[in-house]
Amino acid sequence: MSENILIELKGLTKRYGYGDTETFALKDFDLTIKRGEFIMIMGPSGCGKTTLLDIIGLLDRATRGEYILNGENVAGISARRQAKLRAKKIGFVFQNFNLIEDLPIIENVALPLVYTGYTKTSRLKQASSALKRFHLQEREYYYPYQLSGGQQQRVAIARAIVGSPEIILADEPTGNLDSRSSHIVMEELKAIHEEGNTIIMVTHNPSLTVYATRVINMLDGQIDTDVKTVADANLPQPISVKIKRRKERKAAIAASIELPTSDSVKESKESQESTSEPIKNSDQSDQTKDTKHSKKKSKHRRKK
Amino acid sequence: MALLIRTHYKLARTAIKENRTRSFLTCLGIAIGVASIILILSLMGSISNLIKNEVAEIGSDLIVVRPTATKDTVTNIVEELTTANSFQKSSLALNDIKAIADVEGVTAVAPIAISTNTVASDKNTFSSVPILGTNVDFIKIEPLTLRHGAFLTKANEAHSVVLGHTLSLALFNTINSTVGQMVTIMGEKFMVVGVLDEINKSINFDNIDFDNALIMSADSLDKITGSTQIQQINIKAASTDLLPQISENIEKALANQKLGDQNFTVAYGDEISHPASSLFTIVSGMLTLVAAISLVVGGIGVMNIMLVSVSERNHEIGVRKAVGASSRNILMQFLFEALILSILGGIFGLVLGYAFAFLISTITPFSPYISWEILLITLLTTLAVGIIFGIYPAIKAAAKNPIDSLKHYR
Repeated sequence: MSENILIELKGLTKRYGYGDTETFALKDFDLTIKRGEFIMIMGPSGCGKTTLLDIIGLLDRATRGEYILNGENVAGISARRQAKLRAKKIGFVFQNFNLIEDLPIIENVALPLVYTGYTKTSRLKQASSALKRFHLQEREYYYPYQLSGGQQQRVAIARAIVGSPEIILADEPTGNLDSRSSHIVMEELKAIHEEGNTIIMVTHNPSLTVYATRVINMLDGQIDTDVKTVADANLPQPISVKIKRRKERKAAIAASIELPTSDSVKESKESQESTSEPIKNSDQSDQTKDTKHSKKKSKHRRKK
Repeated sequence: MALLIRTHYKLARTAIKENRTRSFLTCLGIAIGVASIILILSLMGSISNLIKNEVAEIGSDLIVVRPTATKDTVTNIVEELTTANSFQKSSLALNDIKAIADVEGVTAVAPIAISTNTVASDKNTFSSVPILGTNVDFIKIEPLTLRHGAFLTKANEAHSVVLGHTLSLALFNTINSTVGQMVTIMGEKFMVVGVLDEINKSINFDNIDFDNALIMSADSLDKITGSTQIQQINIKAASTDLLPQISENIEKALANQKLGDQNFTVAYGDEISHPASSLFTIVSGMLTLVAAISLVVGGIGVMNIMLVSVSERNHEIGVRKAVGASSRNILMQFLFEALILSILGGIFGLVLGYAFAFLISTITPFSPYISWEILLITLLTTLAVGIIFGIYPAIKAAAKNPIDSLKHYR
């Protein structure tokens, strides 16, 4: 399974300050992450969780050590290349949502696509279908302040997945939400994970660890405990399809989905189908019917 | 790349629209600077254009002699400006006319000596009337038409005057012929022998407003004022082809007359339309400088607003970087915003400047002069202003650390 390794961190160290004020957020940190893992990182404040996430997300650089992403050492790459990788491979979900207040949510969701060279129409189409998945389609042109916290976080998750990245990094995504909204958000993340995405999430809430396939406890910039709850062989894997044109990707994925084997996969397939539906320029009533239908579906799922 | 530029343009447009008032005021700063430059350029252009057209009308056989300072240095110009009456220092004299008349190929020579004086008729008295002292040849060079009477002749020039259309009307309260009436200048009586047609062209290469002027012989003017200073000598050449040759000969003859002093210029063709006095050059230069300063002030306004915008949108910059914007993307985004602000200001200023120029043209003889050079200068200037004053805020925005910017939540 060695080819399935997505991220490899070797001797990663992050130092802040010099001399007397020198502190280490990460100290000789080693970690290997496989494709399809849902990792929860826990630990007390100041143990280096967020720094780790920033470094994995290429927002920050380690003082020393190696970071191998998809077999390529990205520890010393240029800022420009970092930005390119961020745009294509990484989706962020933050505790405070970090939506741009001046943009309607559909444009917020479309934001990562701005920097990967999509035309405006195709950006909005993709953002719209991502929002549809999170049952926010009829609020496309709402502004973030018009939405509740849970809805805003769902918009943020839609933004994180819109560019179909390989890694989703979530920094306490439920930290600002009540338990009900937390649950919805976690269900969404779970569904995304079951499609084969790799999720790395930082949290303070131990009750959320049930969603994870691996729980890492950190202490003073190092790994304290590392527990895997799902065998590597059982990790969901991304559907790999070879396509020539980006436009064909969705149809290709929809076509290659295998028959469901378990209940959870069935659910994920359902939701995937709804995303892979082609966007029709149908009239308003048609669209609302559609969303009502999917709302019912989601209620049903939550009852289960 | 083209796609990204379009995206940046759209982003900038949205950002500008969101802060309408602020953007408008910033544009206004640029617009005022551009408008004043346009105004000055178009009026200056209109002056030399008017003169050029006039020279073309008169014909290409015209040669003009003007007095100049020995050297056109800044000290001389300043000296000229600080002297009360610059033309009092004219280096041309009445006997130069004779010297020029003797040059081969010259068919007519007329001096232009302008002074102002009080002119009285039996009905009205006017002070500060421009009086043009010249000779009978003047009408051969300048295509003036007379409404009544005739121009000065050799026989009557000592005691006769020709009146401009407006002056005649003002002195005698009638648009009918005033030929035969008497006017008094400095106690001397002169008879009106002719009245000019209305010309309505106060800007010309002679630098005199004929409608309001009184024309008399330079000798008589010399007698009543005591001394005459000649601002210009108009010469009609026999042949257009020989203009360079003739003007060279005139130069030689004058230099001889003045014992080698080169304190005059001989001009023909397009050179005539060049501003006659250094005063014109220096005034327009100063005005352009002031306009340029106001454009710089406008540019500082753009920079100021862009800096505010950068710090206001710190969080947005962080989010954009987190989702994959490179520093260059951010730089371009803010630079585009500054560029659009300044170009909008430029367009606004262009319209404003020409509107002002048209307004001025309704009360003065100027007509606004529009040329692609002026439009190009405006476009390039505003582009330069946008880049110069937009690059620093844009660099500042691009250099922001995304982690810090993300913490900076409004």
